[in-house]
Amino acid sequence: MAWGALEPPLPVWRDEDREAMERGELVPGLTLLTETTAQEAAAEAEVPSPAAGEISADEQESPEVAERFLDDYFETRPTDFLVDPQQLLGTKDARDRQSFLKYHSGDSEVDLFVYLFDGHQAIPSEVREEEVVERFFSDGKPAVVVYYYLGAPQKSEIYLSPFLSETVSAAEQRRALNSSVEEAMEKPDALAQFEAFCVQLSIRIYWMERAAGLVEDAPAIPLARRVHAVEKEEAASGAVLQAKEWGHRYGVSSGIMAGAVLIVVGGLSIARRRARYRFPSFEVAPRLGGSHAAGIGAVISFGSTTQSPSSQRNEVPNYLGL
Amino acid sequence: MKCPRCVQVIHRGAGLCPHCGFGIAEMDARHGTDNLSLRRLSDVAGLMKSRERTKVQAALDDFARRFPQLFFAVHTASGEGGGNVRQFGFWLLNRAAFEDVPVDRPNEAGILLVIDAESKSASVTWGYLLDPYLTEEDTFLCLSRAHAYWLEGRFAEGTVRMVAQLGKILSKRAAQARRDPERFERKVAPPAKTGEIARRIREGHRPMKRENVEVRP
Repeated sequence: MAWGALEPPLPVWRDEDREAMERGELVPGLTLLTETTAQEAAAEAEVPSPAAGEISADEQESPEVAERFLDDYFETRPTDFLVDPQQLLGTKDARDRQSFLKYHSGDSEVDLFVYLFDGHQAIPSEVREEEVVERFFSDGKPAVVVYYYLGAPQKSEIYLSPFLSETVSAAEQRRALNSSVEEAMEKPDALAQFEAFCVQLSIRIYWMERAAGLVEDAPAIPLARRVHAVEKEEAASGAVLQAKEWGHRYGVSSGIMAGAVLIVVGGLSIARRRARYRFPSFEVAPRLGGSHAAGIGAVISFGSTTQSPSSQRNEVPNYLGL
Repeated sequence: MKCPRCVQVIHRGAGLCPHCGFGIAEMDARHGTDNLSLRRLSDVAGLMKSRERTKVQAALDDFARRFPQLFFAVHTASGEGGGNVRQFGFWLLNRAAFEDVPVDRPNEAGILLVIDAESKSASVTWGYLLDPYLTEEDTFLCLSRAHAYWLEGRFAEGTVRMVAQLGKILSKRAAQARRDPERFERKVAPPAKTGEIARRIREGHRPMKRENVEVRP
């Protein structure tokens, strides 16, 4: 009963409701089919909708990169492959990424520079990214420059140094960037995204440098083998030279000594083969009625493969102690 | 010097074992008194293949060449010894006549290896000529060399190894005997008779000759 008292009152038909229903503006029972009650609807209606000024203020919340960092970002050509003056990465993560980019640089004809920003940040409008790349990366080793937003890889931008941009089409650049972003977006957290992005982009740069003609398609392995063979030949020739030198210096004397040793060993071997062993013969009294022999030697069993010969020796104990 | 049945030490020249009464007559009663005609390699049990027998024969020939007084014989049996290869070897070396051994090498100079396939055991017996030069331990060392091969059923290889090992031992003993024959003669010399012992004692107690010593008053 008490529960029933708490229920909302039943609806009551009024004339204006009938007119509204006839006009199609009211559907009977519609309030029962919706999940919000009248009280809730009233409460929701009480929340004031945001003003236009407030909405524009929210949009302005993503700050630009602080001015104090701009010089570190864009004043000179970066010395490290990872440009992170805001220290958005921890020490270990920064070191890992830096070492990977260094490894890439050593392995590739195209360097990869990554400017790191936070996901909600934006590069100030006065900085023209293309101009920065042209100014710092026109000379020296070709490079790919990426502006990467930590936690928002989809905002990343890619620029190529002038030499590369002439040979690698814009479509290819876009495909490389999209591929890297897709790879990054599969990861759950920002650090893993950044790592996946760098790895994938490094792979794409491998194909870029071939498109740019920086690397021959001919495999390097045969060349390496040839170099290896040459080294071996050189080493072998060194050993041969050394052997020849020793041969000139000690050849005669060592040959004589070896010959003498061979003669001695051969002579000893022949002497041993020709040696005849004789025994002095002593008179021995016959035993046990045996006219020729009574020398009793050992008896051994060979029935078990797990026991030693000593344990299989058939020995009767000397119980008389003689 | 041991008895082949009870393996107790017996004295030189004992007609019967003083401990168990064993003598060759007992073996004659069991196996017969007729002389057996054998060859140095008699593979009665068929433990070796034809090609293997050739190798063993070559090893025996080499042994006979190195030791002009001796010969080595191998006999494989299958229960012939009644389970005691020691007694059977003793009897066989006394009763067998080896056809392919020169007459100047009597059985006294023989070494016989008996391998019994049924009891899976082997023994060595030697003639009186080798009494001073061979011991039971020597033969055990030789048998040990062959043991691993015999376990695998490679009787010919084991026998060849054993003959080679025995050749090494005997060549050393021959060299030692040439340098010091008395050392080996003492091992087989007949025991001193009672009168001889008494004579030695008397000589040992005989007062020494007194030297001329001047005694001044």
